[in-house]
Amino acid sequence: MASLGELERAVMERLWASGGPVSAPELRDQLADRGLALTTVHTVLTRLEQKGFVVHDEARPRRFAPRASREEHAAELMSEVLGQAADRQAVLARFVGSVGDDEVRMLRELLAAADPDGAGAR
Amino acid sequence: MLPATALALAVLAALLAWPVPAALSRARWPRRDPVAALVCWQAVGLAGGLSMIGALLVHGLAPWGHSLPEAWWHWVTRQPAGEPVRGHHWVAQTLAAILAAELLGVLLLSWVRTARTRRRHRELLELVVRPGAAATPAAEAQLLEHPAPVAFCIPGARPLLVLSSGMVAELDDAQLRAVVAHERAHLRERHHLLLLPFVAWRAALPVLPAADRAHDAVRDLVEMRADDVALASLTGPDPRRTLAAAIVAAVGGPGGAVPSGALAVTGGAVAVRVRRLLAPAEPLSRAGRTGALCSAVALLLVPTLLLLLPALVA
Repeated sequence: MASLGELERAVMERLWASGGPVSAPELRDQLADRGLALTTVHTVLTRLEQKGFVVHDEARPRRFAPRASREEHAAELMSEVLGQAADRQAVLARFVGSVGDDEVRMLRELLAAADPDGAGAR
Repeated sequence: MLPATALALAVLAALLAWPVPAALSRARWPRRDPVAALVCWQAVGLAGGLSMIGALLVHGLAPWGHSLPEAWWHWVTRQPAGEPVRGHHWVAQTLAAILAAELLGVLLLSWVRTARTRRRHRELLELVVRPGAAATPAAEAQLLEHPAPVAFCIPGARPLLVLSSGMVAELDDAQLRAVVAHERAHLRERHHLLLLPFVAWRAALPVLPAADRAHDAVRDLVEMRADDVALASLTGPDPRRTLAAAIVAAVGGPGGAVPSGALAVTGGAVAVRVRRLLAPAEPLSRAGRTGALCSAVALLLVPTLLLLLPALVA
């Protein structure tokens, strides 16, 4: 049985792939190979809505649309990661933080100076 | 007995609030032995809080008995004080209670807040990442489509290790393996838990410059520790150079560098990491390491004994 997280992904994929808002029964039909009950689709949509990934309109039946594209979500996350304050290391551990371009130049020189080939030629 | 104890604790608190953290963050030996240094920092933090609150508590409860446990018991059971209680006793008691509540409260708040941010990040990530290709260094990571070379992990019950597509493009296989090993070390050794109290107490004690120094030192030390752990698991002709090259490639890639000045505070820490990889210093001698660890234990024992011992002597 597929986990809820995996179902959420599948539903989001469908919503992103479809051009406009989609109703829950339509989604169930599009995901027919999974054999989902309509209530399950509703549960997943409600969860996605709580997380702020999906919005619905007031048509009957309700139709659902993604709040933002996949790229926009990725960009949102990256702007948080890249612009992270120093104390974010407690939230997520980044391999290396952002440094100034002066320091990048200095680090490159450091690496080049320690080059074993360079040392051999000396 | 008690006034002397309160004074001793106050002196210790003052030492731990400024000279000791200043000296420890300036010292050069920590980069030779990040583990011992991390133990020392945790001891400094714990002993600092203990002696600060202890000094106030001991002074505030002095009229109730000759040792803290005794005075505390008399106070809790509402027995009359043996000596006249003056205003400054009440002030000290109140301050002790406020300080204890603030330190613990902020710690709890930080915990909740970081957990919430992590959950939000994880939810976002689960939607936009795809698993790394099998049988590559990225196999155990999730890939995020983005040109900037970034790698990070989100600790927790379901940890998540993420590489950006820019990182995969910028680095060769050996370097990627080094990055993944570094991040995995953070996760396995729960480095976020070592850092959390210092994040919290920096927020709780903004007037204390030492809280800032302590936080930055611990943050840099866990990076060095993760580098060391990564090195141990790497194969290849020159793992140190591979990891150093990965760091330089990651900061130098598109979107990796920011205009100088924007992030002046973090500058330097990366250079220290690269330098200690390329030109490793001798690891701390056995005696040096034992000394550091014994100092950490002593640091914790002194305030504990000061708080409890008068009861045993009396």
